[in-house]
Amino acid sequence: MIEKTYLSAGRSAPLRIRVNGRETELDVPPSKRLLHVLRDDLGLTGTKRSCEIGRCGACMVLVDGEPVNSCLAMAYQCQSKSVTTIEGLSEDGMTLVQQCFLDEGGYQCGYCTPGMIVSVTALLANDPSPADTDIQEALSGNLCRCTGYGGILRAVKKAIELKREQTG
Amino acid sequence: MAYPHGELLRSPSVWQPVSAEEAWRLKREIGTGASFVAGGTLLRTQWEAGLAPYPAHMIDLTGVAELSGCGPVDEEDGGWRIGAITTLAQCRSHAGLFAAYPLIMEAARTIAAPAVRNLATIGGNALSRTGDMATALLALDSELLWQNDAGTVLEPLSDWLDRERAGLSGAPGLLIAILLPAACRMPITPNARRRCAFHKVGRREAFIPPVVNVALNVELDGDGAVADIRISAGGGTMIPARLAAAEALVRGRLPDAALLEELHAVVMGEYAPMPDPLVGEDYRRMTAANLAAAALWQASGAGGRGPGEGEKPCC
Repeated sequence: MIEKTYLSAGRSAPLRIRVNGRETELDVPPSKRLLHVLRDDLGLTGTKRSCEIGRCGACMVLVDGEPVNSCLAMAYQCQSKSVTTIEGLSEDGMTLVQQCFLDEGGYQCGYCTPGMIVSVTALLANDPSPADTDIQEALSGNLCRCTGYGGILRAVKKAIELKREQTG
Repeated sequence: MAYPHGELLRSPSVWQPVSAEEAWRLKREIGTGASFVAGGTLLRTQWEAGLAPYPAHMIDLTGVAELSGCGPVDEEDGGWRIGAITTLAQCRSHAGLFAAYPLIMEAARTIAAPAVRNLATIGGNALSRTGDMATALLALDSELLWQNDAGTVLEPLSDWLDRERAGLSGAPGLLIAILLPAACRMPITPNARRRCAFHKVGRREAFIPPVVNVALNVELDGDGAVADIRISAGGGTMIPARLAAAEALVRGRLPDAALLEELHAVVMGEYAPMPDPLVGEDYRRMTAANLAAAALWQASGAGGRGPGEGEKPCC
């Protein structure tokens, strides 16, 4: 006998996720993109919608601490997981990475910036002293259509430097 | 609230089997309206482009125990088993896998971008046929373990790709795992004479499908001559293939400048890309030949970058 975990729209099991530290239960279709759950159901519009096929990185969030394109992740894939959005990163005030983007002009129109900040935050959490090639790889899925990569790379390097000074 | 792609209206059912046998049975019972989904990253691009129908039923593979795990089959055998839903991020960062089969990591690091690799799986990329993983796995003599009506079936990756090339398309079941033979494993000794290289050229530097890719796995004898070699190549819509004539040419010979020139000429003739309106065939033959010659030159140590040297850890 086959048992369905979820039934079709309108009768789906609730999605339980922790978003920015808060346990959340939502009645959404299991295949709904995490991007739309965050923006439309939770009002967290800092996560940007753009390509919707995982190419541009504007919708980047952390899922259990690792960067994931929220346009690719479906609700059921996030069941019982912990999601951190750009809003969640700065709940205690601006982060060092954000400050460095501001100081170094690591943005122009700003649309890609939340995704960039999330990717850089994940990179530095895993490796506080990444090589240039590591930085390029970590940001290879984040596109800036204003082509402002120079400022972005300066911001990342400054964040690495300041973090190193902070930790002695 | 309006949903841009009508997600609410066409939301599929999601099934969550816990065994490969159950997953396969679900697919058989539901039929063509069902799609196996692991990371779903490639499927998403196919759904959005209209290349594959948005399924009415998704069979989620992430809870299927046999499909996960990555490690030695057993201590005596020396070969490795990589579960089909092992993510490309895990392939990129798994220290033990890198030490044993660095080609896997070299290919994984060129596929998509880190966040996509956190969802995308090695099984999904290999079965796409035209990604980078199939080329790397071919140079490692990999085998595929399928679940189907007969139970579990093991077959060489090259056999499955040959059938695909012949137009006998379709996976013969649910991919459970990829098996890597002990014969292609890197020796544990530091003066290892087995070397590998993976090279890719795309239309951009990163996050791009291959226009041409080449994987090479070579063992040199005590004199530096080629004792054992596997070279595979793919790119575009071509199904990756071993370059048998190129392998036969270099076997038993010293990889010196003269041999590299001969190898270049043979690969130019042997590499057979599919038609591509944007990238000329001559360019791709030349690129494959350049990459193969460079890979052998580098792997032979002439390029000064053995394991642990230079920027790339493996090649």
